[in-house]
Amino acid sequence: MTDSSKLDSGKLFAARLHAARARPYLATALYALHIVESRRVPTMGVDRYWRCYVSPVFVDRTPVEELASVLVHEVSHLLRDHHGRSDRFARAHNLSGPAERLRMNIAADAEINDDAFGDGLVQPEGAVVPATLGLSQGELMEDYLRQFRLGSLTEDMAWLDCGSGADGSDRAWELGPDGADGLSEQERDAVRFRVAQGLVGRPGDAPQGWRRWADEALHPPQAWRDLLGAAIRSAASGSGPGADYTYGRPARRSAGLPGVVLPSLRRAPPRVSVVIDTSGSVSDAELGSALLEVAAISRAVGGRRDLVTVLSCDAAAGVAHPLCRAEGIPLVGGGGTDLRTGFAAALRARPGPDVLVVLTDGQTPWPTGRPGCRTVVGLFRRQRSWSERDPGYVPDGPPDWARVVDIGMSV
Amino acid sequence: MPAYTPCAPISDRAHATQLDVAGDLLTLLGEVTTEPRPDIQLEALTLAVAADLPVLLWGEPGIGKTAALTQLAESLDLPLTTVIASVHEPSDFSGLPIIGDDPAEHGVPMAPPDWAVRLVRAGRGLLFLDELSTAPPAVQAALLRLVLERRIGALRLPPGVRIVAAANPRSSAADGWELSPPLANRFVHLQWTHDHDVVVRGLGGTWPRATLPRLDPGKFAEAVAFARRAVCGLLTARPNLVHQLPTSETRRGGAWPSPRSWDMTVRLIAFATAAGSAGDVLSLLIRGTVGDGPGFELLNSIDRMDLPDPEALLADPSAAELPERGDLRQAVLDGVVAAVRRQPGKSRWDAAWALLVKAVETGAPDLVVVPATTLATLRRENWDVPASIEQLAGMVSVSQGADRAAARVAAKAGR
Repeated sequence: MTDSSKLDSGKLFAARLHAARARPYLATALYALHIVESRRVPTMGVDRYWRCYVSPVFVDRTPVEELASVLVHEVSHLLRDHHGRSDRFARAHNLSGPAERLRMNIAADAEINDDAFGDGLVQPEGAVVPATLGLSQGELMEDYLRQFRLGSLTEDMAWLDCGSGADGSDRAWELGPDGADGLSEQERDAVRFRVAQGLVGRPGDAPQGWRRWADEALHPPQAWRDLLGAAIRSAASGSGPGADYTYGRPARRSAGLPGVVLPSLRRAPPRVSVVIDTSGSVSDAELGSALLEVAAISRAVGGRRDLVTVLSCDAAAGVAHPLCRAEGIPLVGGGGTDLRTGFAAALRARPGPDVLVVLTDGQTPWPTGRPGCRTVVGLFRRQRSWSERDPGYVPDGPPDWARVVDIGMSV
Repeated sequence: MPAYTPCAPISDRAHATQLDVAGDLLTLLGEVTTEPRPDIQLEALTLAVAADLPVLLWGEPGIGKTAALTQLAESLDLPLTTVIASVHEPSDFSGLPIIGDDPAEHGVPMAPPDWAVRLVRAGRGLLFLDELSTAPPAVQAALLRLVLERRIGALRLPPGVRIVAAANPRSSAADGWELSPPLANRFVHLQWTHDHDVVVRGLGGTWPRATLPRLDPGKFAEAVAFARRAVCGLLTARPNLVHQLPTSETRRGGAWPSPRSWDMTVRLIAFATAAGSAGDVLSLLIRGTVGDGPGFELLNSIDRMDLPDPEALLADPSAAELPERGDLRQAVLDGVVAAVRRQPGKSRWDAAWALLVKAVETGAPDLVVVPATTLATLRRENWDVPASIEQLAGMVSVSQGADRAAARVAAKAGR
């Protein structure tokens, strides 16, 4: 055994090289870590400024391949912004105290570890995976946090400590924001961006979890509820229907300015028609949540309930139902889809709708012409279908005269 | 927030009314102190206002946008005019028709509102258009003419007037407020968020006092050259970034790249450089002007501009200074090897080895392994291996350590 009071940096560098070779897309992030030797950290931990605190004793007693896995694990905490997400989760759910932070560290570990190892990296002794907690894999830290409590399953994890980079709570041994060699927020963003760009550019054999992360780092998803709401509101209150100024009626101020015609504010509630794709490929839960959302939004923009019409449609358009309750609309159908009949039926109504909302998975032919009213398409995005016989086949996307909101992606 | 000067207590007066007593309590509550604290949001806002670009602050209601504007106006010494858009009618911005003696003869003049007259008379000021998102579309349309053409009725705002607007994010906007792409392209979009610590400490009686950036005239020429080089460098390499209309619903209403917004970016980079602002401020400004994706690409390429040029390093390896940070050092070494591959030559190959030796001597050896392996493959038959390669021993042992680990992992996996 060598002198354990001094950091064996050669061993650590060999581990980092092994990690960078096994996960080339993480090399930039691994090299951006600033290694700090620390006798107070139990094993290895990171802070939010991309410093990596390493215990010399831990390096000494751990084989190179396991060190490499731990490095990849620690850098994953930073890339996935676990500290920021922990802080946000703690604030949103009013959580405080070291036990909660430990829970966040465990949940963050579970998010990373389910696809971090294998393929050149060993799974370190005692690594937390979702199965350790009795949970299914492939979920996000926030999902795990809602599913387990500290208890008998987590008893062995009390020593677990990946530093403030994993759970957002500062540790005594960390150098803090004013210490040397930390990365500024902009530098951290830049490293994250470069890693994500590399992943999207050359995905290679990167696991699904990392690819999803990279996509979201480059194009962060937005809450589809907000987007759908904004699209419908904007469609409903654009020029034409909705509240606007009109010369059709004199303004309140006219009394003060005799002889002058001033416009007044007039509000005409928009008529909203919702066409729902009830073909077999859309799940009831997805439809239910989207429909509730549309109903709530159209009421918010001033549409009275009797002005919101719902039409279910598979290959043939069903009967239009006025929306009298927020729930309980009979959705009939289940075969293949041809939304064109739905469009036609909705537009045939007299008086015609001001806004047409279409909820579909997009596996359908679209009308060729632009309908006479504003159209919002809520799209249940599916894995892009791909055929081996015809690799060039792409189903038609929604036409560009419609505003498209992706629905059902987790946020 | 300005510190309050407490006035003499009055409650010991003989006939103090209940309201006077309440006034005392209010005075005591108003006594707050300030402490200096860097505030990158406010710094970005100040720079954009100084650069005479219209700014749009996006933020939830009640998080201190107005307070920030008050502080900004105070520090720039501009009178602040706040106009709450939602309580106005379109004619307040396009002018109110006033009937004279003979409309057929003189026409109907459009009279501007009083605040506009005062602004024009003062010749300078900060116009804050608050609550844009709750105004009806027609009012928004009238306001946007004011922002873009700087006209209110028959009046034209003088150049000394700067305009800042505020809007609630689309998720919390009650009405259909949304910028059309051409309008969004004219604003610098700044996301306004509150800092938990600042709020808690402020409610405890101590508000932050931001030190605002000062432009240094000595840096102007250099700042302009730098800004132009940064933007042109990126756009030369990535021509499709010049103009990208937002297509997806997620990016609607926000910043997007166009020649106009790139021009704004040049201006903002020059201002940030002349003010010596930190990278975080520049990042907010750039992403607020051309959007996140192109903004990150520009920031990335600015980072690379700071890295030493591979050709200069190859020309004089002994004088080379390699960056300390591992990922940047790796980028430089990769660049050097790529330069040798592009234009091979014995002397360049030797110089590259000298650089790698230097890298091993001054930093972590593991990140030299990949460039060294690549460089070795570029060897031509008649080139002798330089003697200095002996000094790469540290790197070789690290590399062997990693090889052994990989072999063990493979053996375990195969078992």
